Amino acid sequence: MAGSALRRLMAEYKQLTLNPPEGIIAGPINEENFFEWEALITGPEGTCFEGGVFPAKLTFPPDYPLSPPKMQFTCEMFHPNIYADGKVCISILHAPGDDPMGYESSAERWSPVQSVEKILLSVVSMLAEPNDESGANVDAAKMWRENREEFNKIAERIVRRTLGIPT
Amino acid sequence: MRILGISFISIALTTIVIANAYYQKKQFYPSVVYITKSNPSMAVIYCQAFICVFLTGKLMRKIFFGELRTSEFEHLMERSWYAITETCLAFTVFRDDFNPKFVALFTLLLFLKSFHWLAEDRVDFMERSPIIGWLFHVRVLSLLLVLGALDFHFVQHAYHSTVTKGASVQLVFGFEYAILMTMAVNIAIKYSLYSVDLHSETPWENKAVFLLYTELIMGFIKVILYLTFVVIMVRVYTLPLFAFRPMYYTIRNFKKAFNDVRLSRRAIHNMNTLYPDATAEELSAGDNVCIICREEMSTGCKKLPCNHIFHTACLRSWFQRQQTCPTCRLNILGPNVHIENRHQRPANPIPPQPPNAFQFPGPNAFMAPNIFNNLFNPNMRNAQQQNPLLNGAVNNNGNNNVQPPPAGAATTNVPPPPPFQVPPFPFMNPFMTPPPIPPQNLSTLTREQLQQLEGTERQNVEARIQWLRNIQVRIFVIVR
Repeated sequence: MAGSALRRLMAEYKQLTLNPPEGIIAGPINEENFFEWEALITGPEGTCFEGGVFPAKLTFPPDYPLSPPKMQFTCEMFHPNIYADGKVCISILHAPGDDPMGYESSAERWSPVQSVEKILLSVVSMLAEPNDESGANVDAAKMWRENREEFNKIAERIVRRTLGIPT
Repeated sequence: MRILGISFISIALTTIVIANAYYQKKQFYPSVVYITKSNPSMAVIYCQAFICVFLTGKLMRKIFFGELRTSEFEHLMERSWYAITETCLAFTVFRDDFNPKFVALFTLLLFLKSFHWLAEDRVDFMERSPIIGWLFHVRVLSLLLVLGALDFHFVQHAYHSTVTKGASVQLVFGFEYAILMTMAVNIAIKYSLYSVDLHSETPWENKAVFLLYTELIMGFIKVILYLTFVVIMVRVYTLPLFAFRPMYYTIRNFKKAFNDVRLSRRAIHNMNTLYPDATAEELSAGDNVCIICREEMSTGCKKLPCNHIFHTACLRSWFQRQQTCPTCRLNILGPNVHIENRHQRPANPIPPQPPNAFQFPGPNAFMAPNIFNNLFNPNMRNAQQQNPLLNGAVNNNGNNNVQPPPAGAATTNVPPPPPFQVPPFPFMNPFMTPPPIPPQNLSTLTREQLQQLEGTERQNVEARIQWLRNIQVRIFVIVR
């Protein structure tokens, strides 16, 4: 029998391939290593990220699902809750105890109940509704609050870039 | 490609240096002396030696590991830099013994160290990959054998040299190889645990526990080794600065392992004493997938006070991190629970209790006797009125005594159905006499409390039987 983390990841992968949620594709980059996944997320409709296809990398810890995975977009992103290097900052990716922004209640933190699918769905809703209180990217948060038009323009440029359309 | 170029240049340079020396001196011995006396030639020879070591390393890596994964490579680089810095620090302590042989020994040590790290990473990888072929096992086993034998040889060599020739730099080597040997043993134990788990059909629940204890014992041995080394070094030479960083990490890891073992023990203890096993009905009642591992639950499951069910093993590893329910985040451990347990709880776990067992049946069920009482015998009514008082006493009593143990649920935040409601006592209403409430769990009461309860209970039962007999008599009389 393989390790419990590996078995759970395989179960989640199976689940995701059998019943894929809309607008999300995810799976291991390499079948030999189930602890590194790649995900493709389509920008939610009716938002400034609509139409974009955003690649991201998920890195799972050896003790998954007791500890949360890390998620990092591998394309350029401009969003209040995504660091400049693409790392995603949402509360369900933080283990209770560590609190980078100092405001999250433990009720919305990581627990084994969460899954890859839930993380990706949360990220989709995060793309639709940024939380500008926890600025991982302060410039983006400020622009989102004060100059929405400019923000939308940048988002549109990023969307075009992910699709390979010249801007 | 670059490496090929560099090694080619180096070989060319070495050839030139040797050819030049031989051309000038014409004989073997003078040319060797010439090379060793000339600094630029020696530099070239050192470079060549370094490249040879590097190439051998690459070859060995190919043989024992195949392709390195990115994370392994990064890990190796990171650790190498620290190790090289520390080796340079160690040179300063032994600057008097500094000679090519000494450098060669340190290089060999670094070389072997890097293979230990790689082996460690590779064995950890077993947990992560679904595909482990026979080649993997052959490689790991042969590598572990080679490393273990070399470590053992060097430790022995260092020991003999220290005993026969007195303290020298061999002290450092002996100690370093001893540390490496503990590492090799640790890797071997991990490897065997993983392989046993890999070949068993069912998940091996105790693997985590074994791993924890291995970590603890190995950490302890390493801490002892480091401490003795520092003491010896301080007495013989000087403060071994180069050993402080690894020593700090070792002590930190040991502390972590110790904490892990402690938390794990507590989790296991809680599992065994606080939470009931889930019954077959409870498992089949709902969705019986364990939310932690996403696998079906059939046996070995526990139910938390919030009614969520998980595999015992999954829950145990989660409780090492946090003492909350994974689903609803109910805090499982109230501070009072442990004290109560020690005093009152017997060894066996609490039998599972359906949360609704103590809800009150409607008053109707007990109205009939009252009606009869009122109809037939005013005296009976007195008895009846006395009874609620008795019942009340029992209930209050029961509450006071029983509250603490289920406090496992009660002191924690919000168990959805409060397991022990104080029922409203309708003393005023003669038609609604609730039956005495059984205390939630008799096994948690002391002997005196039990006797007290039993005493009043018996009176109740006797009184009720008496009424029933009276009623029977009256009905009998009327019918006749």
